[in-house]
Amino acid sequence: MEEKVESKKPQWAMVIDLDRCTGCEACVVACHAENNIRIAGEGPAAGGRSVNWIRVERYYEGEYPDIRVKFMPVMCQHCEEAPCEPVCPVYATYHTDEGLNGQVYNRCVGTRYCANNCPYTVRFFNFLDPVWPEPLSKSLNPEVSVRYRGVMEKCTFCIQRIRKGEDKAKDEGREIRDGDVNPACVQSCTARAMTFGNIADPTSEVARLSKSGRASRLMEELGTKPRVTYLSRGD
Amino acid sequence: MGQIFQRSTNFISRISIFGGVFFVALIIWLLLEFNRSSYYTQAFFPREQPVQFSHKHHAGDDGIDCRYCHTSVETEAFAGIPPTKTCMNCHSQIWSSSPYLEPVRESWRTGKSINWTRVHDLPDFVYFNHSIHVNKGVGCSTCHGRIDLMPLTYQVASLNMEWCLECHRNPEPQLRPKNAIFKMDWEAPPNQQQEGARLRREYNIPSTEVLTSCSTCHR
Repeated sequence: MEEKVESKKPQWAMVIDLDRCTGCEACVVACHAENNIRIAGEGPAAGGRSVNWIRVERYYEGEYPDIRVKFMPVMCQHCEEAPCEPVCPVYATYHTDEGLNGQVYNRCVGTRYCANNCPYTVRFFNFLDPVWPEPLSKSLNPEVSVRYRGVMEKCTFCIQRIRKGEDKAKDEGREIRDGDVNPACVQSCTARAMTFGNIADPTSEVARLSKSGRASRLMEELGTKPRVTYLSRGD
Repeated sequence: MGQIFQRSTNFISRISIFGGVFFVALIIWLLLEFNRSSYYTQAFFPREQPVQFSHKHHAGDDGIDCRYCHTSVETEAFAGIPPTKTCMNCHSQIWSSSPYLEPVRESWRTGKSINWTRVHDLPDFVYFNHSIHVNKGVGCSTCHGRIDLMPLTYQVASLNMEWCLECHRNPEPQLRPKNAIFKMDWEAPPNQQQEGARLRREYNIPSTEVLTSCSTCHR
């Protein structure tokens, strides 16, 4: 009988410090550039067909001019009990053993059940083939599939960067550590509000921050067990 | 008034229902086999290239290492297509007036790259990484065949997903020691099953569940 070779897989998670977020949307821009996210155009965007794997929610408090704005970047929460997964009839969305909520574009048949079942509304459907106005089509990232008409797409935690970081660590014969993998949004965060890492490693920054007293998870009461933790003083 | 259906209709209808199942199965089987055929996968069909480059001559007869031209195979996803400079390292001295090499010299003069035709082309939603395979004991000839015996380059594998999964489900038969990765004539030793299991531990290759997880290759 073959011997099972088990290596402990990292468990990817993100921590976002809302007290630091300035709402600059650099993460949104970086995500668009990194992940070949199509440009909807003015009309379709107004019709709710724009695609933003990460968006910055704004919450206004008080009356003008005594107004305070709170920002909250929201992307796929990579729930451990993801509502999108059991409803997919073709297993195009599934859970990887690294705790990622994977999306297999070439398996997707476009039922859109997953998007309808997602409480965070972070899944986007391609109603049309994507087009990029010249010369933007030459700036596509070759590491990421261009999603075609009829498939669902969403934040992948920059799976291409995760694979690259993991392969590098494997080539060097060591375990993954902080700084090996940084999704585009984390890398571009000017306020350093976002942290990404392996939550299974108790010494990692995300593991430390997610135990913070300020930590909470988005719509935790639904039992989805999100992998994204938000830090906020809550005042 | 005579009967519309003869007694024999019973027999014919049973046969046609029974035969219909087989007919559908035959159609499905034919489609699957067509998908695997080299007519569809283009395996064993040499591609037309701008220069009549022979891997047999360079890698086989001259014994040039794969990495002399495919420099990034150990560190990058893409093995690398050599620039014209790599050709000219030798061909500025030898065969420097051969008419076969005129496209190379033209590329050298004008600075325009040679437009090689890609032989191994995967679908765009599949991400293959050379470095991780080469560093984990999968040799060149495992997938590319005996390149050193190919005058014109062709693919020997179907590049179907079932072909990838065959090895990802059970990598042991293909694993070789580090010093044999670039050996074209490597053959599995008789005790390959034990040797493969040992190498799998040594290389720290993850479990089959991880290797066959969708997001290992699709992203």
